Amino acid sequence: MADADPVSESLAAARPLSPHLSIYKPILTMMMSIAHRVTGAALYAGALLLAIYLFGLALGPSAFAAVSWIADSILGRLFVLLFSWALFHHLLGGVRHAIWDRGLYLDRDGRELLAKATLGGGLALTALLWIASALFG
Amino acid sequence: MSRSTFQSGRSGKGGAFVSDREGSLHALAMRHSARALAPLAILSIWHIVGLVGKPYEAARAELARPLPAIALIAFIAVVAYHARLGMENIIEDYVHDEALKATALAVNKWAAIAIAAIWTLAIMIIAAPR
Repeated sequence: MADADPVSESLAAARPLSPHLSIYKPILTMMMSIAHRVTGAALYAGALLLAIYLFGLALGPSAFAAVSWIADSILGRLFVLLFSWALFHHLLGGVRHAIWDRGLYLDRDGRELLAKATLGGGLALTALLWIASALFG
Repeated sequence: MSRSTFQSGRSGKGGAFVSDREGSLHALAMRHSARALAPLAILSIWHIVGLVGKPYEAARAELARPLPAIALIAFIAVVAYHARLGMENIIEDYVHDEALKATALAVNKWAAIAIAAIWTLAIMIIAAPR
């Protein structure tokens, strides 16, 4: 900051930070909170990879040959599978936040239930999507 | 971002811990875009998973149809906004060096726009009549 004097700067540096993740016992609601952030960041990177795939598809057969691995190889299929799971997990995490925004399910049992529903629902929706895609896609 | 000096009882005069007073709008914008993304994401992931294993002509034909094309463009347009805001949260939480933070926020802004632009252009080329 331009107008901060040296004394307040040194005081600011000495101010203790939160000890952060490493000292906490992992609990489900905390893991789901972290998973929400991690899946969000992963979807960002995944969107870039999908954009590259779509651009290759748009440019023509020779460009597509260079990017088709993204949705065709074993690694590519694993990426799309993980992308779809991350999307559902993140989507249900958002629903969980919307429920909390309305002041509901904030008590101990409620938030545990929502954490389990987010985890189970994300896996279930992913399985459902891939089964439906194999049957009707 | 707007910043103002603030007299803190603990750290004295300085801007280091001053709110930029944009937090509420940021949080609301995340929720508004999330609401639009919920249905768009379900539609889009259906069509994305449908591309798996498809050869060139089949994948082109799939995305050239109006509904997948419109869904995927609407999806990435809102994603570009939502993902940028979300990554801003992450950067502001973990990057404490002011100069590096400003760079990271700028890179994030243009990366989100670039991904959406490449994605949208690709779908428009694919969906255009040949």
